[in-house]
Amino acid sequence: MKRLAWPLLVFFIYAAGAHAWSLFSSGKEERYPGMGGDFTLRSAGGDVSLKDFRGKVVLLYFGYTSCPDVCPTSLGALSAALKKLSPDEMAQIQPLFISVDPARDNAKRLQEYSHYFHPKMIGATADLDYLKALAKRYGAYFRKVEVENSSLGYAIDHSSTIYVVDKDGTLTDMIQHSGSTKRILNHIRAVLTEAP
Amino acid sequence: MFKHIFSGMLLTLVLASPVFAGSAADDIQIIDPWAREVPPGLTTSAGFLGMKNTGDKAHRLVAAESSNTGMVELHTHINDNGVMRMRPVEDIPVAAGATTTLQPGGLHLMLMMIKKPLKAGEKMPITLIFEDGSKKDIEAEVRHFSMEKMNRMKMGH
Ligand SMILES: [Cu+2]
Repeated sequence: MKRLAWPLLVFFIYAAGAHAWSLFSSGKEERYPGMGGDFTLRSAGGDVSLKDFRGKVVLLYFGYTSCPDVCPTSLGALSAALKKLSPDEMAQIQPLFISVDPARDNAKRLQEYSHYFHPKMIGATADLDYLKALAKRYGAYFRKVEVENSSLGYAIDHSSTIYVVDKDGTLTDMIQHSGSTKRILNHIRAVLTEAP
Repeated sequence: MFKHIFSGMLLTLVLASPVFAGSAADDIQIIDPWAREVPPGLTTSAGFLGMKNTGDKAHRLVAAESSNTGMVELHTHINDNGVMRMRPVEDIPVAAGATTTLQPGGLHLMLMMIKKPLKAGEKMPITLIFEDGSKKDIEAEVRHFSMEKMNRMKMGH
């Protein structure tokens, strides 16, 4: 009995604290406290800031255009999911492709690439250090690796997750298994219905 | 006499030929070969297919080439806790009686330095080369991402 008491007490303090905090922060619980946040990137259409899209649900994907398989599969699945949305739903969505390969992906190339997947998708990038810090804030991972016995030059190991930012700019969902259209669609619809 | 030498040469040719029955190329049956359409401005893509070994000996795909690329490499993806690491592999084994599938998120033919942009609906000629030197010419159907629904992907978390 005594052994149980401490963890229980800690749990109650934690629960009470979390409850108080959720009441304090306008009744909305943050799913990923301390993660996400604003950023500014460059695109063919000029600077793009997350702030520009308040009132919209922003879908972020980190990748690079010479990625032959993982990125096109994920973006293809995302595109197919977006095509299933009604015009009204689509009006509330902003897809954003963030290149982690600024050395090879210039703004024009990023625009062409993003539009290939969806006319509304914006392709943007920044300096490497900025991208590293940004990826870290969102929990994304990427690393450039020299590949031996290959004419690739280098590849970029990266996580393949779609980050969902709600209409207030808060990171609210992460869609793993991003190759599944159905899964992406379910997640997008859930976020659209929970937000007023 | 002349006829004899000739038929002897012919026999040698047939025996040495990789298409002689029992070669890897004979044993391997190709299932649904396709390549991904390339977004504008890019020259890298990936090719996928199933290889069914109908023989009683294990085989290995050791290389591939295409007149429409500068280079084809055999690659795989290692899913390391959601991080996708693309790496070259030396060969792709197909056990006797088994099927090895190259599919999105896993093994693929890495099509590099593509000369003529791949457009959906077109055919991409690819030559597969096996461990015994036997070759198989295939035509991969170029598909737009919207045509790939049936291609399951093992990646992500
Ligand atoms: Cu590859």
